[in-house]
Amino acid sequence: MEKSFKVIAETGIHARPATLLVQAASKFDSEVHLQYKEKKVNLKSIMGVMSLGIGQGADITIIAEGSDEADALNTIEETLKREGLAE
Amino acid sequence: MKYEQLAKDIISNVGGKENVSSVVHCITRLRFKLKDESKANTDALKKMDDVVTVMKSGGQYQVVIGNHVPDVYKTVVAVGGFEGAGQVDQDEDHGEKQNLFNRFIDIISNIFTPVLGLLAATGIIKGLNALFLALGWLENTDGTYLLLNAIGDGFFVFLPIFLGYTAMKKFGGTPFLGMAIAAALVHPSLVGIKAGESIMTVFSGTLFESPVQITFLGIPVILMSYTSSVIPIILATFFAAKVEKRLAKVVPAVVKSFGVPFLTLIAIVPLTFLIIGPVATWIANSLGQGASFIYEAAPLVAGLILGALWQVLVIFGVHWGLIPIYYNNLAVNGFDTLIAMTIPASFAQIGAVLGVLILTKNQKLKSLSIPAFISGLFGVTEPAIYGITLPLKRPFIMSCIAAGVGGAIMAISGAALYSAGPLGIFKIPTFIHPENGIDAGFWGMIVSLLVAFGLGLVLTLLFGGVNKNAETAETEEKNEEILSPIKGEVVSLSMVPDQLFASETMGRGVGIVPTEGRAVSPVNGVVTTLFKTKHAIGITSENGIEILIHIGMDTVQLDGKHFTAHVNQGDKVNVGDLLVEFDIEKIKAAGYQIETPIIITNSENYGEIESTNKKNVKEKDLLMKTSLVNPLENDKAS
Repeated sequence: MEKSFKVIAETGIHARPATLLVQAASKFDSEVHLQYKEKKVNLKSIMGVMSLGIGQGADITIIAEGSDEADALNTIEETLKREGLAE
Repeated sequence: MKYEQLAKDIISNVGGKENVSSVVHCITRLRFKLKDESKANTDALKKMDDVVTVMKSGGQYQVVIGNHVPDVYKTVVAVGGFEGAGQVDQDEDHGEKQNLFNRFIDIISNIFTPVLGLLAATGIIKGLNALFLALGWLENTDGTYLLLNAIGDGFFVFLPIFLGYTAMKKFGGTPFLGMAIAAALVHPSLVGIKAGESIMTVFSGTLFESPVQITFLGIPVILMSYTSSVIPIILATFFAAKVEKRLAKVVPAVVKSFGVPFLTLIAIVPLTFLIIGPVATWIANSLGQGASFIYEAAPLVAGLILGALWQVLVIFGVHWGLIPIYYNNLAVNGFDTLIAMTIPASFAQIGAVLGVLILTKNQKLKSLSIPAFISGLFGVTEPAIYGITLPLKRPFIMSCIAAGVGGAIMAISGAALYSAGPLGIFKIPTFIHPENGIDAGFWGMIVSLLVAFGLGLVLTLLFGGVNKNAETAETEEKNEEILSPIKGEVVSLSMVPDQLFASETMGRGVGIVPTEGRAVSPVNGVVTTLFKTKHAIGITSENGIEILIHIGMDTVQLDGKHFTAHVNQGDKVNVGDLLVEFDIEKIKAAGYQIETPIIITNSENYGEIESTNKKNVKEKDLLMKTSLVNPLENDKAS
């Protein structure tokens, strides 16, 4: 399962948002990845997410696969929206 | 073959067997190396019912199957005729190969790692106190003895609470919740009831006959003594962490902070009492009866088995099934030969510990071995078991063999215990016959203990495999030093004025209050992230430690002002290379705090992270040291 978002946060996805996303993703058994441009990183790794240097206006895709992929994707979407990171 | 059709379909969709240069599998995936990935029909594969999905990475074409992949793999190999090239990749399958026994030991070792220092310290206080008592320097009614005993024994009695924290953390739950569960298990009011009158007996006349002291909502609760126990809290937290995670997803956010622990406690604590108590009680009782039965029939066999298994029984907390028999023997016959057979076990342990102490070059292991040996000599074997022999595995097995031989000698020597007494070497006088004095049985006991000790030592020296272990541990330790990137004052991470860092959510680490506005590389590695705002730098070391240096609080808002970067993302850096310069005064003047957390963002991969105890550090001073790479990490190889 995957879903795309547009980053709206002014400062992009830096340390704090990356941590919140990793926290959300780590609750699930599914493998969760974040794709930005050509790069795909594990959404359970803070350093991985930060290494993308995602800025405002970026198009990102969250890909979840596994037994609880739907829940995982929903929770991450909720986090992105609640924190005003992406829509 | 069960998966023949599936295997055929997979092979045809990856472009036929001619297109496969090799195939291996991990825990959930078939990992193909294809000659030409464009020949594979990815969409068709993804649509297949038995294929979860397809992923392409690292030059591998991965078909995700699920846990039954080993069987599918076998069929694929057979159908495709890939034998030669298609061998299972050893490294990737490491996690899968770990048998249950090893995983179990690894979990226990991991859970004990954070408290090993305490375990050794309290063990030695307990041991010395026993020595003072034995030498007659103290009476067991003296205030000094009682207070020292409280210091030494307090940790052991309430061990489940400490393990509740570390185990819950290990299983990914909230550590304090684990402590709360453990605290309920060892609550004094229930310990008191256990010793008191029973209100009924369940399963009368069967092997499962057990006294019941209380009921929970009408269900009889068979109590056991949870104080000093290890396994019950590990099992309880294992399930509690799972329940907590599930609940965290469904409990509404408004009531989450108390709702999740409330429901977890209400579910897990009664279940633990209702399930673990009876099971452990029945196992213990059966053991007691089984041991007496075997002893009647063949003392030598009983000695061998009981000696060898004693420490294992102690770990599971079911050894106390024998204690009532022991007291009964003493009361009725005036002597006991059953528990006598278990006495060599602690001597075999300290023999093995001495072996480790002689062999190892690992400083940490050495420094734990000495107190473990001394406290073991006085009968407190927990530091030896949980700190040394069990984590190293083979020394533990060697000590069990030695204890078995010792137990067998004890059984045929006619040695007997004539009074209940202290443990370790202080147990020796209780073998003296009250009338005959030192008899043949006493000498038999001495031989038994010497053999157990000597054999534990020699077997460990010969087959303990310690050298190998110690050397790898040492090279790992040497390579995992993180030097200070910044000159300044070291503060605990919990003192950093941002909850996200202070709570260790991002990982473990330390904070530095910089006194000089420059950050250098703390390790040899690669700059993995350098935000355009230049306030946060991530470096991945050659050994894979991920370190985040986050200069100041909320400084992302400065958008790069007052920061000058000297490297780019992707650059290779060596220890001491200048990464970023920043203007402390201007950052402060702009209204931001300058506390700089240095975080190991993948710290869940490491068992222990030691921080410097210096108050101020210069650049390149030792800041943190990771040790004991978490063996469970191998499970995540897939």
